[in-house]
Amino acid sequence: MDFSLNDEQRAWQEKARKFADEAIRPASLARDRVLDPAQTWDWDLFKKGSKLGFRTLAVPKEYGGPGADFVSQAIVMAELARGDSGVSKAFSQNWKWSHLIASVCSLEQKERFLTAFLADDTFVMGKGITEPNAGSDNRLPPEDDPRAGLKLKAERRGDEWKLNGEKCFIANGNIGKLFFLDARSNPNVNVKEGVTMFLIPRDTPGFRSGKVFNKSGWRFYQNAELIFEDARVPHANVIEQNAGASRLDKGERTGGDLFGDLELAANALGVCMSACESSLNLARSRTQGGKPLLEQQSVQLKIGRMNMLTEALRSYVMRVAWEHDQKLPSTNAGFVMNYSTDVIQEVTQLNMALHGAAGYTMDAHANKLVRDGIIWTHLAGDAVQRMKVVRRMAKSK
Amino acid sequence: MFDLHLSAEQHEIRDTIREFVTHEIKPVATKPARMEALERRPPAELLLKASQIGLRTLALSEALGGAGADALTTCLVAEELGAGDPDIAAVLVETSALSHVLFDQLMTPDQRSRFLPQFVKDDAAQLALAAHEPDTDTELGINYHRAVPLGPAVSCTASRTPTGDWIINGTKTFVPNAPLASLVAVQVSTDPKAPAGQGVSTLLVPRDTPGMTIRELDQNAGWYHGLRGDITFTECRVPAGNLLGAEGKSALSAGLDASGRGIPLVQAMNIGLGRAAYEAALDYAKIRVQGGRRLIEHQAIGTLLAEIALRLEVARTIVWKAAWVTDNPSAVADRSVADLPLHTLTRIYTAEAMHQVALDAAEVFGAMGVMRDMPMHKYVQDALIFLHSGMSAGDGKLRIAEALAEFRRD
Repeated sequence: MDFSLNDEQRAWQEKARKFADEAIRPASLARDRVLDPAQTWDWDLFKKGSKLGFRTLAVPKEYGGPGADFVSQAIVMAELARGDSGVSKAFSQNWKWSHLIASVCSLEQKERFLTAFLADDTFVMGKGITEPNAGSDNRLPPEDDPRAGLKLKAERRGDEWKLNGEKCFIANGNIGKLFFLDARSNPNVNVKEGVTMFLIPRDTPGFRSGKVFNKSGWRFYQNAELIFEDARVPHANVIEQNAGASRLDKGERTGGDLFGDLELAANALGVCMSACESSLNLARSRTQGGKPLLEQQSVQLKIGRMNMLTEALRSYVMRVAWEHDQKLPSTNAGFVMNYSTDVIQEVTQLNMALHGAAGYTMDAHANKLVRDGIIWTHLAGDAVQRMKVVRRMAKSK
Repeated sequence: MFDLHLSAEQHEIRDTIREFVTHEIKPVATKPARMEALERRPPAELLLKASQIGLRTLALSEALGGAGADALTTCLVAEELGAGDPDIAAVLVETSALSHVLFDQLMTPDQRSRFLPQFVKDDAAQLALAAHEPDTDTELGINYHRAVPLGPAVSCTASRTPTGDWIINGTKTFVPNAPLASLVAVQVSTDPKAPAGQGVSTLLVPRDTPGMTIRELDQNAGWYHGLRGDITFTECRVPAGNLLGAEGKSALSAGLDASGRGIPLVQAMNIGLGRAAYEAALDYAKIRVQGGRRLIEHQAIGTLLAEIALRLEVARTIVWKAAWVTDNPSAVADRSVADLPLHTLTRIYTAEAMHQVALDAAEVFGAMGVMRDMPMHKYVQDALIFLHSGMSAGDGKLRIAEALAEFRRD
């Protein structure tokens, strides 16, 4: 076994750490405090990060991107999240879809979208799956109810498709330039079989974004409604590999959802790193009766647990990243995602407890980390997300 | 004897308050700005209405013009108010508790005749206990099981003039109800040579006393429920007759729950909050269909709701028990109930359990559980405030441990 990083991985780590320390962290709390959820994004910060390569990190070398491996990607996500979890997600959200373009799009689509994506520091992407009445139904479709799941309607009209319906909570919904959209092309079969994926550029006629959701945490990272009213999409924007057939099997590729699982776990790791640093600084600098808090047993025990959980999460995240690079089939990505929910919530809570001991005010950073951590419940650690992984494991063995 | 029947009167009071919360408090509490916690200030007209149905003077004895509610009844009411809006609840619960302690227990007949009529008559009059000072800490952690007096030293001083009047100087901070208080009980050091925590007296300062300045604190910058303020005393003069109790021996030195057996009012409010989250989750789970059936018909959600109900029942049981023991202290003396700091035990369990309740309830709502314009987010945030304000769980456990060891500091 060898846990050391190679030069390229080390270089990405240092670059991301520097960017987090110098650019993300100083802006983080101010962004968190912006009350209008549609005004939290910071283009200057984002463009700076884009020029350093964080937006396009996952685009393969053969298409002109940095082509960083999964280990590097995990490291960068954690280091950026150490500065601000939402900012890290704003960058890594694009990696998912550049993985997808590179792995399943036609040459013509790659040319059309990947080139534009690479060239433009403000080009961000998102994926539309969730609908007001289809959240868990998409993740774990009921076997016996073909009507359950997403309803956004796609009808073929010659060389065009007509789309009608609505998506909600869509990442980068109000600022994205390109969306991957799951729509129901066949309402008579279940959601696994009746869905087609489309590439939706921002200027698609009949498509617009609606309200931006007002989340408790992850303020920087925006989720919005996508609205389709007789939207017209050329057939050339259909992702053919799964058109009209089954959706991509989430367990068999290294992009898409498996990446999403690793993504949340690596991001959680960064948040935990930040909480550990913050609590150790506090315990060293705040005194009681003239002595640093760190001298107290109850403080040592809390800090010990925070660091133990964080290091265990780091080991698991790095193992999954390595397994992705080796293309090893495994359900560990799902489990590390579930596990990261438990770890981020306990670690940020302990950090808050250490900061809260003084009483009437709460450290704004400790509070932010807790709010960011609560997001993991529905994204990574609710019952559906846990059962999904177990079913995947049972199927693969 | 073990009897959990509420009296007819307790039933009636609880039903009345539940009605008041449903029709008066909830419509205010569910306004978007309040749910986003941008506007948490209790509306004055609502506090007036609450006073008119007796909530401000709930614990004050009937003889003095209150409802004379016992500890358990005040907890029943605190739960109902907490289920409505913890910030509104905190103001009313503080005044009610102080009205009993100050007017029924500590004032002389002369003081009562000077301060009571105005307090009872004015629906807007709230009460405040000014104890906390800037940059102070209990220092319990570093002094755990050590025979040193627990701080903090009171730096707010009162000195006697030749005529016997008191001159107060100093600053108090985060004083509950200060911005609304008609009467402030302030903790002052009257013996500068006394060791930390001793030589403390309580003085009564009416609102309009020259030399007392009250500044309302920005609620959203603080980590507490209710309304708080800073109070500055500059050569503030009160007559000799405003000394509450004996000089240098304040009965309020460690706040309202000095014995560890105070009334678990904050914990009752906390349960109210947990109940509000639970009821919302239960209602939603009965309506929302995913996976081909209603959420509650799924094992995973059913189990989650069962765990929520379990935590609520256990927490309510210890809150009722702690409250009942303050009404029936002989139960400890005759060893019916263990001699433990029940209030402190209740504080630790309830805050942790209700935090988990709020998180679990939010999970039922999926992404809607983290949206600021929906109630679940506010329930989670309120549960965090209950968890990490007042006495910390860490300090609470050390207090319990000292009690287990039969360690006496004084």
